[in-house]
Amino acid sequence: MSSTVGSRRVSVREALADNGALAGLLVLVVALSVSAPTFLSTQNLLNVGVQAAVVAVLAFGSTFVIVSGGIDLSVGSVAALSAMVGAWSSAEAGLPGPVALLLGLLTGVVAGLVNGALVSYGRLPAFIATLAMLSVARGLTLVVSQGSPTTTPDVVSFLGSDLTPYLPVPLLVMLVFFGITGFVLSRTYSGRAMYAIGGNEEAARLSGIDTRRQKLVVYALSGLFAAVAGMLLAGRLSSAGPQAAVGYELDAIAAVVIGGASLSGGVGRATGTLVGALVLAVLRNGLNQMQVSPFWQQVVIGAVIALAVLLDTLRRRTR
Amino acid sequence: MLLSARNITKSFTGVKALDGVDFDVRPGEVHVLLGENGAGKSTLVKVLAGVHSPDRGTVERSAGTRLAVIHQELTLVPRLSVAENLYLGRPPRRFGIVDKARMRQGAKRLLDRVGLSVDPDTAVEDLGIAQQQMVEIARALDLDAQVLVLDEPTAVLTGTETDRLLDIMADLRGQGVGLVFITHHLDEIRRIADRVTVLRDGRSVGVLPRGASVRRMIELMVGRTISEQYPRRRQDPGEVLLKVDGLTRDGAFHDVSFHVRAGEVVGVAGLVGAGRTEVVRAAFGVDRYDSGRVEVAGEPVPRHDVRAAVRAGLGLVPEDRKGQGLVLTSTVGDNLGLVTLRSTARAGLVDRRGQRERARGMAEALRVKTSGLDQPVRELSGGNQQKVVIGKWLLADPKVLVLDEPTRGVDVGAKVEIYELVNRMTAAGRAVLLVSSDLPEVIGMSDRIVVMAHGRVAGELPAGTTQDKVMALAVQEFPA
Amino acid sequence: MEFRGVAALSALTLALTACGSGTSSGGGGDLTIGLAISTLDNPYFVALKAGAEKAAAELGVELTVVDAQNDATNQVNQVQTFTTQGVKAIVINPVDSKQAAPAAKAAENAAVPLVAVDRSVDEGKVVSEVASDNVQGGTLAAIELGRAVSGQVVHLQGIPGASASRDRGRGFEQGLNSGGIEVVAGQPADFNRAKGLDVMTNLLQANPGVKGVFADNDEMALGAIKALGDRAGKDVQVVGFDGTPDGLTAIENGTMAATIAQQPEVLGRKAVEQAVKAARGETVQEVVDVEVKVVTKKNVAEFRK
Ligand SMILES: Nc1ncnc2c1ncn2[C@@H]1O[C@H](COP(=O)(O)OP(=O)(O)OP(=O)(O)O)[C@@H](O)[C@H]1O
Ligand SMILES: [Mg+2]
Repeated sequence: MSSTVGSRRVSVREALADNGALAGLLVLVVALSVSAPTFLSTQNLLNVGVQAAVVAVLAFGSTFVIVSGGIDLSVGSVAALSAMVGAWSSAEAGLPGPVALLLGLLTGVVAGLVNGALVSYGRLPAFIATLAMLSVARGLTLVVSQGSPTTTPDVVSFLGSDLTPYLPVPLLVMLVFFGITGFVLSRTYSGRAMYAIGGNEEAARLSGIDTRRQKLVVYALSGLFAAVAGMLLAGRLSSAGPQAAVGYELDAIAAVVIGGASLSGGVGRATGTLVGALVLAVLRNGLNQMQVSPFWQQVVIGAVIALAVLLDTLRRRTR
Repeated sequence: MLLSARNITKSFTGVKALDGVDFDVRPGEVHVLLGENGAGKSTLVKVLAGVHSPDRGTVERSAGTRLAVIHQELTLVPRLSVAENLYLGRPPRRFGIVDKARMRQGAKRLLDRVGLSVDPDTAVEDLGIAQQQMVEIARALDLDAQVLVLDEPTAVLTGTETDRLLDIMADLRGQGVGLVFITHHLDEIRRIADRVTVLRDGRSVGVLPRGASVRRMIELMVGRTISEQYPRRRQDPGEVLLKVDGLTRDGAFHDVSFHVRAGEVVGVAGLVGAGRTEVVRAAFGVDRYDSGRVEVAGEPVPRHDVRAAVRAGLGLVPEDRKGQGLVLTSTVGDNLGLVTLRSTARAGLVDRRGQRERARGMAEALRVKTSGLDQPVRELSGGNQQKVVIGKWLLADPKVLVLDEPTRGVDVGAKVEIYELVNRMTAAGRAVLLVSSDLPEVIGMSDRIVVMAHGRVAGELPAGTTQDKVMALAVQEFPA
Repeated sequence: MEFRGVAALSALTLALTACGSGTSSGGGGDLTIGLAISTLDNPYFVALKAGAEKAAAELGVELTVVDAQNDATNQVNQVQTFTTQGVKAIVINPVDSKQAAPAAKAAENAAVPLVAVDRSVDEGKVVSEVASDNVQGGTLAAIELGRAVSGQVVHLQGIPGASASRDRGRGFEQGLNSGGIEVVAGQPADFNRAKGLDVMTNLLQANPGVKGVFADNDEMALGAIKALGDRAGKDVQVVGFDGTPDGLTAIENGTMAATIAQQPEVLGRKAVEQAVKAARGETVQEVVDVEVKVVTKKNVAEFRK
């Protein structure tokens, strides 16, 4: 049996055992179908998808960051800022909608590049650099909006609408970005480099990978995805709010970690993150429908997050 | 009998690491475990130590027997000091507070015992890998166990340190301690073993008595004989591919110059701390240097820029496989493809199929024992991990490949395969710089040998020189 | 490297303070009043601040505004800082009534008169309290909703445990028995529009027969209206709270049935007036009630200025 380089077959059962989050999601869905009769309708499942979309897109961006061993605390603020810049450019500055949308997305990329530059060239810990950006971006949102919600241009509102009664645009956007994330992570040089950098930055550097440039790419992507999520959120409300997406960075990180990624880097996948975002959305949806007391909801959500990650860790250890 | 294991079987997903192995340890003996990379030695050690529980079989210890284990992978905490590591989890206390003075004194005593002269307050991460190994040994010795297990401690040690360790082991044996010793250096086995249990593919294939011949050991271990341990095939050297000229970094190395021609293997020998690793890291752009220059094929290589060095055609297999060589969270395939990831990508897209094919070819050429390219590399045995680090650079086919302690922990059979690949590189007009503390290896595989001492080049020796001549240069003192 | 991190952060802080904190305004008079506001993330408090600034300008006093970003501890620090900066009176808009005691204590120790605006200070000495009555507002909302619909209604609650959620919710429940409405669900949406949308969507799924919605603020009401789509204002009536510009627009459009308008600008103005009086040693009014008003399509124009 020496020197065999065979290939591994993966069965459905193994896939489930291999992915604690997916198993957790299924358990949750079954439990809710039993206890909340309205849960398992097509319309409600579509609702869950739509409600997951914003956090999912944020979390896809965070997947790049976490896989490469970093953290981005600024995504919620950057989402709000990008949406506000988009809305403001159209409503106040009178720019055409598509241009305003592009400006908003650009804002996200720039914020991400600043994060990336601080981390890779400025050698700031990612936690600090992005914490600073969390504050700066939120502040700039207030400056731009003067504290008031601003109406979004039609292109942005389209992002929050239904294409046909059974085809909500946010769901489509989420699936498209899911595809992009999976593609970037598995097929592109940058994506593969993220795993290497997150797993062992020194080994990556000694293998000739331009770790600094790649980190810049990582945070720029995170900023772009945050901007898209911000547009989705604003689009659903037809309005960009100064207080939009407060605290969403934590949801995004939770989704990524529930999805099996490791905060110490090198591990994580797009499918896991999607499942993680769905777990959070299903949970919130179910809690509303089951009329759980407001005071208990946060307890339940926290407990489920801890449980999901715990199961995953245990499974890994006993292998 | 201090310890006896019966019929031990242990499987990991897809691999039977141990299959019905019997093993025991008597007081006052050195019992060697021998086998190819991935034969199951470390797994057996972990079963004895209770790290893994066996699927089948039993481990029995006579009452009151304490077991101390030096694992193959170092277990020190890099950021803590040497003293803190030595007393990890059991610091001397006074009034409930760690007694630093007593801890430092105790640490000095422990370090003296293994002959390591470093300040106990140094952070472990600032030590070389050999020094770290000695700290690990010192810590295990202090446990005063009746059974001491040493899993490849000498892989990272040089001759003098190894001698010291073998002396300590002989001492302990005299005091009635039972020792389990794993090594791929057959000469060490000849020097110290009382019994040798040979493992092959998870099965115990025989127990050899003291004084068994090297030939017999190899035969049992790999199932064939190895005619030539160092099968170097020389050829006429071509143009100069690597030129290092006057390289200097204050406090580390001074005015180091040498060159390597196409088709040549140049060895770099020296004692630990002679500055060999520092020089090659600087030349490869990992660390800074103050003055001097590095050229590859006549083109200057910019300072402190690994990317540029790689583009210029340099490659470096680093000495610390866990810290600098491998991405432990990734798979065997991904690690093998790490260096070629960029050069084979098109328009930012990875050449997935090609990368897999090349990785598979290399894994087979090096006989990496793995269940597949998708197996996490951390699950491989130590020697097989080392093969992966070498493999990723062989795939990149650089003009000049620097190998820093490339065969650490690699079994005799696999070493020969690596040497054959080195031959193949030089035959294709590449150059190899071989940094190694394994003197027979440097002498057997190099066409010329540069000897370093105290951060300087002490001299150069031709192929086929003797160990004594190398050592004479290596201990040379320089006027300040 | 650690030093570098600190240096970069302080540079950032400096840059930000340079362009941020200069929000003092007014006629440059001899008197400085401090306004410690709970948050500026919300148009309501932005309006309150505007009213305060206007009053300060008219009265010829300097007004320094600080924003606690909804962090009660932060606010205590800010009030303490005010006392050392020599302000002659402080207007506090507590982040949380229960947690404002240390701030009140700090002002008292420094003998600086304290005026509470919009929310009360549960413990401590306050010379004047300028507020609109949240409990009364909640009751008015229930009555208004009962007038517009009968049948099942849902209640979108603010941040669990926040005083505004508590008071409005309590008032709402008190007003329920006056009409033919029944609350079938009450869930938190944290005063946030996006959450209002999601929670309302989910509640509709479980309670398709809902006829009315009461939201603890306009932002959540606007989210609920989004969730209701075409049904808002037709099959389902929504009542909000606050009377923000977007809320008033929704009333004009007929998607929102009513809101309970507080008058944040009036609150800000009255608070500064009282603070100036206190600073000048004149008599102050201990309780200033600023009316809450029910806004419907009929009278919405009055609230547009
Ligand atoms: N945690 C694990 N998961 C899966 N496979 C494992 C694990 N640990 C060891 N193995 C496999 O078990 C086999 C035996 O490994 P082991 O580490 O015992 O080898 P070894 O004899 O110590 O080799 P070396 O000389 O290279 O150190 C190898 O095929 C290895 O890949
Ligand atoms: Mg081993």
